[in-house]
Amino acid sequence: MGKKTALYERHLELGARMVEFGGWDMPVQYTGIIDEHKTVREKAGLFDVSHMGEVFVSGSDALAFLQSIVPQDISKLALHKAVYCQLPYENGGLVDDLIIYKLEENKYLIIVNASNISKDYEWFLKNKKDFDVNIDNKSDIYSMVALQGPLAFKILEKCGIDEAQLPEFFTIKNSVIDGIELFLSRTGYTGEDGFELIAKNEDILKLWNLLLDNGKDFGLKPVGLGARDTLRMEAALMLYGNDLDEDTTPVEAGLKWSIPVDKVEDYNGKDVILDQIKNGVSKKLIGLEMIDRAVPRHGYELYFNNQKTGIVTSGGYSPTLDKNIAMGYVDKINDIKLDSTIQVMVRNKLYNAKVVKRPFVHKNYKK
Amino acid sequence: MMVPEGILCSKSHEYLLEGENGICTVGLTDYAVEQLGDIVFVELPEVGTEFGKGEVFATVESVKAASEIYMPVGGKVVEINEKIVERPEILNESPFEEGWLIKIEADDAHADSGDLLEYDDYKEEIE
Repeated sequence: MGKKTALYERHLELGARMVEFGGWDMPVQYTGIIDEHKTVREKAGLFDVSHMGEVFVSGSDALAFLQSIVPQDISKLALHKAVYCQLPYENGGLVDDLIIYKLEENKYLIIVNASNISKDYEWFLKNKKDFDVNIDNKSDIYSMVALQGPLAFKILEKCGIDEAQLPEFFTIKNSVIDGIELFLSRTGYTGEDGFELIAKNEDILKLWNLLLDNGKDFGLKPVGLGARDTLRMEAALMLYGNDLDEDTTPVEAGLKWSIPVDKVEDYNGKDVILDQIKNGVSKKLIGLEMIDRAVPRHGYELYFNNQKTGIVTSGGYSPTLDKNIAMGYVDKINDIKLDSTIQVMVRNKLYNAKVVKRPFVHKNYKK
Repeated sequence: MMVPEGILCSKSHEYLLEGENGICTVGLTDYAVEQLGDIVFVELPEVGTEFGKGEVFATVESVKAASEIYMPVGGKVVEINEKIVERPEILNESPFEEGWLIKIEADDAHADSGDLLEYDDYKEEIE
């Protein structure tokens, strides 16, 4: 048995099927993955993502500390804005990927992956050095729910937050819903417009029920981790442990767009990362759509001209496209480009797949 | 859900239904398809292939994972359900009727089916 979120009993009442994920007992589905997936794309879905970690960084050297651990330039982060970051080791491989929010001058919130909470926290402490900084892991105090989908903002309006009061894309605000104090952030992991709401454990059940009640008329449903995975895969969002790991640099993962080359401060892995940006890498991440009938899955091998050339990191059925899709790493061969046909090994047989653009489904953010 | 009379179930959740002329229908139980969730892909063997009892004859994939399906008794495949290859969701909707997997000519269904359970006993076993 894994750890339980504050919503565990509620999930059982709602008929969820529970699975272990990252050390937590989490709902994998309520009505069915495809139904929940489509609900998020067309209306709105409510996810319990309390397993994610919340680490607060504050103090006069908070900025300098963050600058030393991520490739992104946190000095450019405006008040209340969020940025997608990676957390590299010295060799450029990744400890984790994160979202960093600037809450106040000298105060930041870092959202880390559930299975990496203690690893990341240890890493932060190891990198604290002489920085005047407080690192508070408050993952056990805070819960988080995600309200995602094109109607998400309407549901928050119905909960009493004016559209004008809603945070913009990748922005966080202090907010209050029915007396519950929370951080309200316009972020998510689905490729849809939506919000993440962070509140204290003792308030989260009330907040969850409020959102579900107010969302009823908009078709809001609870959504499990099964659809969370198919949604993020269609949006080609990375999953640490699948698409990212300690042996993969952000440049190899196609995250070059997120890394400034002119950041002045030194950070872990800077030499490797800048060198790869300048001189290229030996493997690259690609998107695949199956031509033949077969389902590509994490760990399946990729072939090109009968030579093994890589591996699927995330794959499966796309409910939106009604096709089987995958992301994976291949050796950087010039002939593997958009529209190329390569093969996936499924149960000892090769099946054709076409290299396609990522994301697989157009992202529907409100920017 | 209508459960056909005389159905026999394996502990790995396949069912066997003996029909006329010794032709048996093989499929997945209602419990199995419910546990799998939305089924999105089915790989069936070619007609004429022979399998021993307990051998993998098909693969069924839900959104989450791939599962191997085992022969409840030995025999030769005489017909496959092409409809579920085109529309795998039929397995979820109608596992006992439209959503059968294959029909087989059993080698010796009676000798081979000793460990299979009647539906009520199977239900008790999995609960």
